[in-house]
Amino acid sequence: MKRTSSSIFANISGIFAIVLMGFPVYWMVTTSFKPKGDILSTKPTILPHSFSLSNYVEAVTKEGFSKALINSVIVVFFTVTISLFVALFASIAVARMKFKGKRIYVASILMVQMLPLSALLIPLYLLLSKLNLTDKLAGVILTYIAFILPFVVWTLRGFLVNIPAELEEAALVDGCTKPQAYRLVLFPLMAPGLVATAIFAFIQAWNEFLLAYILLSSQDKATMPIWLAGFTNRFGTDWGPLMAASTLTAIPVVIFFSLIQDKIATGVTAGAVKG
Amino acid sequence: MTTSVDRLQKPRTFKPWPYLLIAPSLLALVLILGFPVYKLISLSFQRYGLAEIIAGKGVFVGLDNFKETFTDIEFWKILERTLIFTAGMVAVSIIVGAWLAHLMVNMHPLIRKALNGVLILVWAMPQLVSISVWRWLFSFNFSIVTALINSLGFEMDNHNYFVNTFSGFLIIGGCVAWGALPFITISIYAALTQVPKDLIEAAEIDGANPRQVFRNITLPMLLPVYIILISLSTIWDFQIFSHIWIFLDSRPSAEYYTMAIYAFQKSFGLSEYGKGAAISLIMIFSLVGVTGYYLRQMMRMGDE
Repeated sequence: MKRTSSSIFANISGIFAIVLMGFPVYWMVTTSFKPKGDILSTKPTILPHSFSLSNYVEAVTKEGFSKALINSVIVVFFTVTISLFVALFASIAVARMKFKGKRIYVASILMVQMLPLSALLIPLYLLLSKLNLTDKLAGVILTYIAFILPFVVWTLRGFLVNIPAELEEAALVDGCTKPQAYRLVLFPLMAPGLVATAIFAFIQAWNEFLLAYILLSSQDKATMPIWLAGFTNRFGTDWGPLMAASTLTAIPVVIFFSLIQDKIATGVTAGAVKG
Repeated sequence: MTTSVDRLQKPRTFKPWPYLLIAPSLLALVLILGFPVYKLISLSFQRYGLAEIIAGKGVFVGLDNFKETFTDIEFWKILERTLIFTAGMVAVSIIVGAWLAHLMVNMHPLIRKALNGVLILVWAMPQLVSISVWRWLFSFNFSIVTALINSLGFEMDNHNYFVNTFSGFLIIGGCVAWGALPFITISIYAALTQVPKDLIEAAEIDGANPRQVFRNITLPMLLPVYIILISLSTIWDFQIFSHIWIFLDSRPSAEYYTMAIYAFQKSFGLSEYGKGAAISLIMIFSLVGVTGYYLRQMMRMGDE
């Protein structure tokens, strides 16, 4: 068999891909620990040769950091809890019940996911300004919920259909009411799915830039991505502190992402391949 | 698959439960997405500028916004640019992603794990973080890429990659593809591992060569995944906004306009919201075919 030669080729390509894909992240982290002199050098070297925390100090003490962090936490918290709560009900209906109009509901859920966000900026902005919700975190939270909901409903549905209905049926036979059957049998079983979906919603809300950029104008309403964009002004970009701030912004996402990586790996396309 | 629970109930009674359960989500979607879509359509038939904002009411102008857009040479240039840019990014990210995923099957477990780790790491990068890092990689004065090119014997100190739109779009596209590759690669790899091994073995016993196995078993089984990934990538890449916006310091020159930037500039820059709405609507309609294809695939999966 020529399996060995093909695996040598695969391994070499793999290492190549690791270096190429990983380099930007490597460069971000190493830059963030370099002293100013090393960053503003016209002859940068791949390997760092000095270490400094000054960029982190500068980033964290930059105006608006704590405010942006608090704002992001508020936005993420309300977006995730409300959308998960609302989506949980909907996903039970879609996965466990038969009703007229279900196909239309599912189709519209999927279709809404496909709407290009940047095409809806104008009416969203006008709508929220009419409701007096521009430059307010509540307005951002509301739009985030709407944009995340379809994904959350669809993902929870995916987790639900994989739990056999016979389990609740048994609980019903044993004298449980339907809500009891859901609470005592179904919810514990779908807890891992709920956690994974919550983390995914968290990441979406934490990372979102465009809507927040349009809807929030005053500096004390900025979320983390807006704060990051603020490192570039008309005098140029503060690269060292920006790389430190970028690393700080990415850390929570990286941690959460690695927790759910086995679930998201199959996430979107789950069930597409019929084994 | 869900009938066993329903069967316990008496037939033919109206069951309000499912409707009560979907009501909150439906309300949110109609309010925050349905209404803006309606508003977008109605705006596209209106003149809606600063004066109309103050008056709180647009002036109906029929198809004028569309007529003006379609007769604008600028619009066709931008549409063409957006389509080429989208096609390039989708093609590169899907081909490279598929290639990597198929190679991952043959990789040494350690290398595969390391690659998977790097992909997850890149996937986790917030959009603004990845844009910031790429801007730093290709910055004007202190770019590591320029330094690497120079170390190969070239002389291009203080090179501004964005003066030339070709290299500019190449870098922006590279950043987009870099961010999209992990999702594509990992999804295809996950799907590949779901292809039943006995099926492939049976084909091999029957004398099929690797190419035949790929064409007759792997590819047809992976087709749904490819359809989903291609439609999603098309929709994401077609509406790229933040990358171009931030790479070019929030004031991209006209050669960098794509559909999303164009609509944004028309409305938020020039306060011609009616025209901006018309352009946005054209964007949505350009994607209808792709969306339809995706929808059909997903509904089919949902049915089974």
